[in-house]
Amino acid sequence: MSRTLALWRSLPLTSRLGFTIVAALILLALFGPLLAPYDPIERVTTPFAPPSSAHLLGADDVGHDLLSVLILGARPSLLVALLAAVAATCVGMLVGISAGYLRGAVDTVLMRIVDVVLALPVVPLTLVVGVLAGPGLFTQTLVISIALWAPMARELRAQVLSVRERDHIHALRAMGAGHGYMLTRHIVPAVGTLVVPQLVLAVKSAVMLEATLAFLGLGDVSSMSWGMMLSIANERSAFLTDAWLWWVVPPGALIGLTVLGFALAGGAVERTAAGRTVRPTRRRKPAPASAASTALAQTAPEAPLLEVDQLTVRYGDGEAATGGCTGVDLVLPRGRVLGLVGESGSGKSTVAAALVGLMAPAAQVAEGGIRMDGTDLLVLGPRERRGLLGSRIGLVPQEAQSALNPVHRAGDQIAEAVLTHQDLTREQARARAQELLDLVGLPAHAFRSYPHQLSGGQRQRVVIATALANDPDLLVADEPTSGLDVLVQQDILDLLSSLRERLGLTMVIVTHDLPVIAHIADDIAVMQAGFVVEQGETLRVLASPDDPYTQRLVGSLPDMAEFEEVR
Amino acid sequence: MRQAGRSWLPRLGQYALVLWVAVTLNFAIPRLAPGNPALIMHTGEGDPTPEELAELGEIYGLNEPVLVQYGRFWLDLLRGDLGLSTDHNRPVTDVLLERLPWSLVLVGLGLIGAIIIGTLIGAWSAWRREAGRPSQDKGTLVGVLAIDSMPGFWVGMLLIAVFSAQLGWFPSYASAQMPEGTLAGIAESGRRLAMPLATMIITSFGTYYMLARASMTTVLGEPFIRLARAKGLPERTVAIRHALRTALLPIATNAAIAAGSLVSGAVVVETVFSYPGLGKVIADAVAVRDYPLLQGAFLLATLGVIAANILVDLLYPLLDPRVRHSREELPV
Repeated sequence: MSRTLALWRSLPLTSRLGFTIVAALILLALFGPLLAPYDPIERVTTPFAPPSSAHLLGADDVGHDLLSVLILGARPSLLVALLAAVAATCVGMLVGISAGYLRGAVDTVLMRIVDVVLALPVVPLTLVVGVLAGPGLFTQTLVISIALWAPMARELRAQVLSVRERDHIHALRAMGAGHGYMLTRHIVPAVGTLVVPQLVLAVKSAVMLEATLAFLGLGDVSSMSWGMMLSIANERSAFLTDAWLWWVVPPGALIGLTVLGFALAGGAVERTAAGRTVRPTRRRKPAPASAASTALAQTAPEAPLLEVDQLTVRYGDGEAATGGCTGVDLVLPRGRVLGLVGESGSGKSTVAAALVGLMAPAAQVAEGGIRMDGTDLLVLGPRERRGLLGSRIGLVPQEAQSALNPVHRAGDQIAEAVLTHQDLTREQARARAQELLDLVGLPAHAFRSYPHQLSGGQRQRVVIATALANDPDLLVADEPTSGLDVLVQQDILDLLSSLRERLGLTMVIVTHDLPVIAHIADDIAVMQAGFVVEQGETLRVLASPDDPYTQRLVGSLPDMAEFEEVR
Repeated sequence: MRQAGRSWLPRLGQYALVLWVAVTLNFAIPRLAPGNPALIMHTGEGDPTPEELAELGEIYGLNEPVLVQYGRFWLDLLRGDLGLSTDHNRPVTDVLLERLPWSLVLVGLGLIGAIIIGTLIGAWSAWRREAGRPSQDKGTLVGVLAIDSMPGFWVGMLLIAVFSAQLGWFPSYASAQMPEGTLAGIAESGRRLAMPLATMIITSFGTYYMLARASMTTVLGEPFIRLARAKGLPERTVAIRHALRTALLPIATNAAIAAGSLVSGAVVVETVFSYPGLGKVIADAVAVRDYPLLQGAFLLATLGVIAANILVDLLYPLLDPRVRHSREELPV
C-alpha cells in the first residue's frame, strides 16, 4: 500500500489529475444506474423544461430528464472506447511485435501495410465500412479499431527493436535461446509495460471517434452515449434555443473531459516533454566583488585583460546544487594564450561558459567575479552582457562543425555577427564577411555555401571567422579541434597560432588534449573535479609538474618528441 | 518522421500503393460484406424484388468473375466514372466535383490557420521551457490539450449557440446560394465562412502545436543556437531567425501527414454548419446509405491527402537548402 502511495506521489501533477478524472468517469459508468434520479427513457416532465430543483439539467424536447440521460451515457461512451482500444492494442501488438522481432521481409511487408493505412483518411474510411456494417456497438468497435491499430503497431515495433538490442537479449540469443522462450519470457514482458500508456492514449482517440461516429449517425441507437445525445440535440437544433446550456454543453464537456483525462493519464505531457529537463531557476545576481580587489584592478598600471577571482559555479538550487567549478582563479594578460586543460566533467567548459556568459539555465554563479579590463562582467545586465558577446568577446563553441545553422549561407551567418554590433549597411557587412573568410583561409565562394556543402575543417574556419567578426579582445575556443581528423586539427591549430600573431589576440583555449596546448599556450591551467589543481607557464608545467594529476597527464603524452621540441 | 533527403521515386511508389489500396478497398468491401452486393446499389423504395436484384446485378456486372469485375472497376475509374449516386440520382463524379471547391476553401484556409497558430504557440511554449520557465510551457501544454480534447461538432454547436442564436453576429449556416460576386458578396461569404473556419482551426491547431513544440525543443539544444547567442544576437532574433526557422523543417514534413485528419474534421464541421462541401455530402450519404457516393468521397479524400503530401514534397526544398543543393557540392 505504501509502495502504491509512493508511486502515486512520484507521478507528475498532470498525470495524477488525469488518473483522477479517469477514475471518476469509470465510477460514474459503473454506478450510473444507482445515481440517475429518473429513468432516462420515461417522460418525466414537460418538453424543454428549464433546470429546476427536481430536474437539475432540465429536459429535452420529449421531456426526458437530461441529468439522468447524461449519467447513463457514461457507460456506452466508455464501453465502446475501451473495447475498441483493447482490440486495436491487440492487433497493434501482434503486428508490431512480429515486425520488430522477426524483422527481414515480414517487417518490410507489415510496415508497408502500416504506412498505407496511416495514409488513408480515417473518418471517410470508417464511414464506408460503418455504413455497410450498419450502425451499432459492433460496427463502432470495428471501425474505431481499424483506425487505431496502425500507429500503435509502428510505435510498438520501434520499442521491440530497441529491446532486442539490449545486452542481455543479445547474450540469450548467443546462448541459443528459442524464439518462444525469448518472446514469452523477455520481449513481451519488456514491451508489455510500454503498452499500457499506448492503450490509455488509444482510449482517448477512441472516445473522440465514438462521439464523431455517433454524431454522424453510426451510433448504437439502443444506448444513448454522449455523442448520440449531441447528435440528437443537433438534429432538433437545440443550440438555437435556450436549451443549449443544459442540453448541448454538458455532454460535450464530458467528452472533452474524458479525452483530456485519458490524454493526461497516458502521460501525453511527459512523453512530449521528454528530452532535456530544465530545472527552474531564477538567475541571481552574485554579490559584487569586494571593493578592495576592484580598487586594486583600477590602480594597477598594466592590468591584465581578464581576471577570474574565486569563481564558483553550481548547477541547481540550494542543497541539491552539484557540479560546476569551485574557487577558480585565473589571470590572463593581454596578448597571451591560456590553455585550460582537464577531462570531461572537470569544470573547464563551465568556466568557459561563465567567461562568455552563456551558462545553462540551471547553472548559477555562487560566488566570485570575472573582470575584463576592470569591469565585473557578472554584475552586468543581460543586455549589456550581450553587447560584449560577439564584439569584445568571441566564442568558438564546442562541436563547432555543427554550430552553423543549416538553413542559412555561411557568409550571411558571419555578416549577421557584424551587423549586430556595427552600424554598417548590408553591403559593407558582406564585404567584411568576405574579408574574414580570406583571413581564415577560405576561398571567396565559401560565402555563398550552405554548411552542408563545406567540410568539417571549413566549417570550423567559418565559426572562427564569426568569432573574429568584430575584432574581439578575447577569444574563447572551447575544444576547437574535437571531431576533426588529425591533419585538419593541425591546420586549425596553425590557423589559431597565425591569427594570434597577426591580430595580437588574447585567447583561452579549452581542451582535454594536452598536446594541443603545448604548441600555442603560454600558460596552462589544469582542472580536475571543479578545481584548478595546477597553473603556470606551459614550459614550467610540462617540465616539472607539481600536482600528481598533472604528472599523470604529462606522463601520458603520446609523443615525447613534441614535448622535447617544446622544451 | 520522414527522411528529408529521400528521393522521389520510392515516394511516388508509396503514393501509388496507397491509391491502389484505396481503390481495391472500395471494390472489395461491398463484395465482402454479408448479403447481396446488388442490394447496396438499389435506389428504389422498399425492398427490391428478386427480379430487380437480378437486373441490377446484370447492370453492375455482379454475376461475372471477380477479376473481370475488378478490371471493369478500374476502367470505369480511369474514365472518371464512379457510378451513380443513389440519393442524388446523378453521377457521383459530378456531385463530388461540384462540392470540391467549397471544401478546398474551408480545409485549405483551416490548414493554413491551424499551422500558423499552432506553430507560433508551440514554438513559444518550447522557448519558455528552454528559458527556465517550464511552468508557462506546461500550463500552455495542458491548455492546448484541453482545447484539443473538445469534439469538433460540439465546438461548432457552441459557436452557433453563442454567436448566432444569442448574439446574432454570424449566420448559423453557409448555404450554397451565394450573393453575386460583388464586394458585398465576398463580404457575405466571408461572414458565412468565419465560424466554420474558426471551428476547423480551434479543433486542429493542437496537432501543429505538438509538432512545433517538439521540433523547437530539439532545435534549441543544437549547437548553432549557442553560436547564434555567442554572436550577441538579441534573444528575439535567436528565437525567430535561428530556432523557429530551422524548426519549420520537421513541422513541414509532418504537416502533410496530419492533413488527413483535417479532411475528417471537415466532415463534422460542415455537417454542423450545413456547409455545402464534401464533408456534408459524406454525412448526408451516411444518413441515406448512399454507398457509391461514400466510396467516391473516400477515394477523393485519399487523393487529397496524397496531393497534400506531393505539395509538401515540392515545397520542402524551398525550406531546406540541404535538399535543394544536394547535387552541387562545392570542391573542397
